[in-house]
Amino acid sequence: MAATTQQDKDFIAHFAASQHTLPPEEIQQDPRNKELGRSSKGLCVRDFELVRTLGTGTFARVWLVRLADPKEEDRDKVFALKVLRKVEVIKLKQVDHVNHERSVLADIAGHPFITTLITSFSDHDSLYMLLDYCPGGEVFSYLRKAKRFDENTARFYAAEIVLILEFLHEREGVAYRDLKPENLLLDAEGHIKLVDFGFAKRLGNRETYTLCGTPEYLAPEVIQSKGHTTAVDWWALGILIYEFLTGYPPFWNANPIEIYKQIVSKPVHFPTDPVISPDAKDIIRQFCTVDRSHRLGNISGGAARVKSHPFFTGVVWEDVYYRKYKGPIIPQVRYPGDAQCFDMYPDEKRSRDVYTDELRGKWEDHFKDF
Amino acid sequence: MSYPAAYLQEIESLNTEVSESHPTDILQFCANFFAKRLETQRAEFLLSSPPAQTSKMSGHTFPGRHGTNSNPFGGEAPEQVKKGAIGKVMEEDENDTMASPTAPSFSNTSFGSSFGGDAAGEGPPSSFKQTSGEGFPAHYGLGRRTSVSAESLNPTASSNEHWNPPYHQKTEEQTTRLQKSISGNFLFSHLDDEQSGQVLGALVEKAIPAKGIKVITQGDEGDFFYVVEKGSFEVYVNPSGSLQPGPEGLGARVATIEEGGSFGELALMYNAPRAATVMSAEAGSTLWALDRITFRRILMDSTFQRRRLYESFLEEVKILSTLTKYERSKIADALETQKFPAGTTIIKEGDAGEAFYLLESGEAEAFKNGVEKAVKQYRKGDYFGELALLNDAPRAASVTSKTEVKVATLGKDGFQRLLGPVESIMRRTKYDEGVEEIDPLQKK
Repeated sequence: MAATTQQDKDFIAHFAASQHTLPPEEIQQDPRNKELGRSSKGLCVRDFELVRTLGTGTFARVWLVRLADPKEEDRDKVFALKVLRKVEVIKLKQVDHVNHERSVLADIAGHPFITTLITSFSDHDSLYMLLDYCPGGEVFSYLRKAKRFDENTARFYAAEIVLILEFLHEREGVAYRDLKPENLLLDAEGHIKLVDFGFAKRLGNRETYTLCGTPEYLAPEVIQSKGHTTAVDWWALGILIYEFLTGYPPFWNANPIEIYKQIVSKPVHFPTDPVISPDAKDIIRQFCTVDRSHRLGNISGGAARVKSHPFFTGVVWEDVYYRKYKGPIIPQVRYPGDAQCFDMYPDEKRSRDVYTDELRGKWEDHFKDF
Repeated sequence: MSYPAAYLQEIESLNTEVSESHPTDILQFCANFFAKRLETQRAEFLLSSPPAQTSKMSGHTFPGRHGTNSNPFGGEAPEQVKKGAIGKVMEEDENDTMASPTAPSFSNTSFGSSFGGDAAGEGPPSSFKQTSGEGFPAHYGLGRRTSVSAESLNPTASSNEHWNPPYHQKTEEQTTRLQKSISGNFLFSHLDDEQSGQVLGALVEKAIPAKGIKVITQGDEGDFFYVVEKGSFEVYVNPSGSLQPGPEGLGARVATIEEGGSFGELALMYNAPRAATVMSAEAGSTLWALDRITFRRILMDSTFQRRRLYESFLEEVKILSTLTKYERSKIADALETQKFPAGTTIIKEGDAGEAFYLLESGEAEAFKNGVEKAVKQYRKGDYFGELALLNDAPRAASVTSKTEVKVATLGKDGFQRLLGPVESIMRRTKYDEGVEEIDPLQKK
């Protein structure tokens, strides 16, 4: 069972070759029978060459990496390595969240529109998740550059996200909880990859209570601590489609408290310019419904009902899943490790807290799954 | 925080210009610089922009099945896709700033306070306002948005440990005043009586003996929400986003909070840097304080317990016995609590039935016309009116509260929206459970 480091490296180098779109029920198979997403006890960060930063979060940094000392034919194979510093994870009280992230990603590895966890490992200070590299960069960047998307473009991305949510909610019982353009990457063909599962959680049949997400995208029941479910993702999809079509979210303010007051009390208001079609308005309103017994996606029929909404008229869902539609934006990628679609990020700060022996004694056991 | 490469480039060349020209009016200089850059960039863009795109319809994007004109994602030819959506939008918007000096430097207005200061007034310098496009909000910060998260809490009821919220004695008058202070706040307005009582009990008194004591400091971590019991407090905002050393370090005074006022509510949601410094304006002031973990735990525990209670009640409802756990949890999620004083008729014989009820606390009785005595007694955990979910037949009896009662209720409409018709749920019984008993093919 215990693979050698060399075997792990070979697997990493060749995982992409074996990738073709599997039907959802095969992705859902018993995770123990899966090769993807396993933890590796042999790998370490020195097995990779860190090329540049692709993104940063509050306690994580994602690097573009390639295998250090690669075989000739593996030279242009690149990956994204997410590095989480244990001491930061503890300080920000995100220990549960990073464990959920690893286990959820391992279970769902292989979905066409979700970032693939290839393997994970850890060292004294940090936790590492090796993910497939998405050269297109964030949908966020394209949206801000274009200011807004036309309805066909918005529909294309929304359709792929509907399939992601259908899979997460109805097959896996997972709530994602941080949908926004910043967390949607484009692969080389312009299809969506959902990244950052830091708040994803397996719910089973129960609601959950930890407040998390992004202010503009929080559902009312999260703000009011009423206990929340997968229904929060459908709310966020409504906000997302709105932002795609107008360029900004329906509820916003420099002061987060003012955003929250609007979310819990105000209906979504549409501008007169740009003109938004009645079907688009309707699906947004149905997602952004405070009463969850009325919210599209949460009501009977679930995702199937979303798919049959007039906004998606003519969409052949099977073709969406198997990536038969062409992406509306094809990223300009010149070579496999090209990162020009990503913004530049400042270097890491020097001053760092130390993962002391005391912390180690108390917390190390919580990181054993990596 | 990250900066777009294009932005860094602009700033770098601005830096060069500034260091070469030593301007006296910095703001005017920068404004001129960007206006000039914009003009150049626009001119370049117009020169290089492709001729108006002919809408050549092509079905390549979508093999088979549909006619070429019915691609729901638009019919661009593959070779046009690269310019695609973005190119088009850019053409439409050519009068607007594309290279807008976006968020990173100018969206730093998050100090707009939760302290009565009108945050909408805090915007980028006016020379940048004109750059926002038609129908585009002038102040919207276009930068990446950071995720927020509270510490993960698990309901105590799901483990063995028992947790009671802290309780601090208050006079009746104090409680009434506090109640009034917080009842209009969106974080409290939806609480039920029990939650509200626990929250009020948990507020702890904090004496602020002297003038000039900083209760919260801009930029620091925030864990507490405060209500002013006595005295007054001044709110300062430093545009840098945090308190700075020196006499000017507080920044501008933006508001004063008097008795009954409150501040720091964002700390009840998650730990975010304080948006302002709040300092006592007189000696001998008093505050009430509430911390996030206590607040969230009160809400979570009571909601969790009520949900589990509803689910266990629902398990007893015969016509709903085939619901899965997931479905019961969905219904529990949608149940609404109502309270009735003793002697209220909750449902009336002969009326059309529209909702069903679970009795959460108190007692109720059923009466039928022409029968003097109650025909049935209801206690905690009992339910009535459930046939309304099945048909539109009139209520067969009246139900009246004997004591004050609390019920959880859901209408037929709500039920059907969530799970579909009850008839089909009842019908599926035999197939979902014990298949082998009824299906001869399953027998050996």
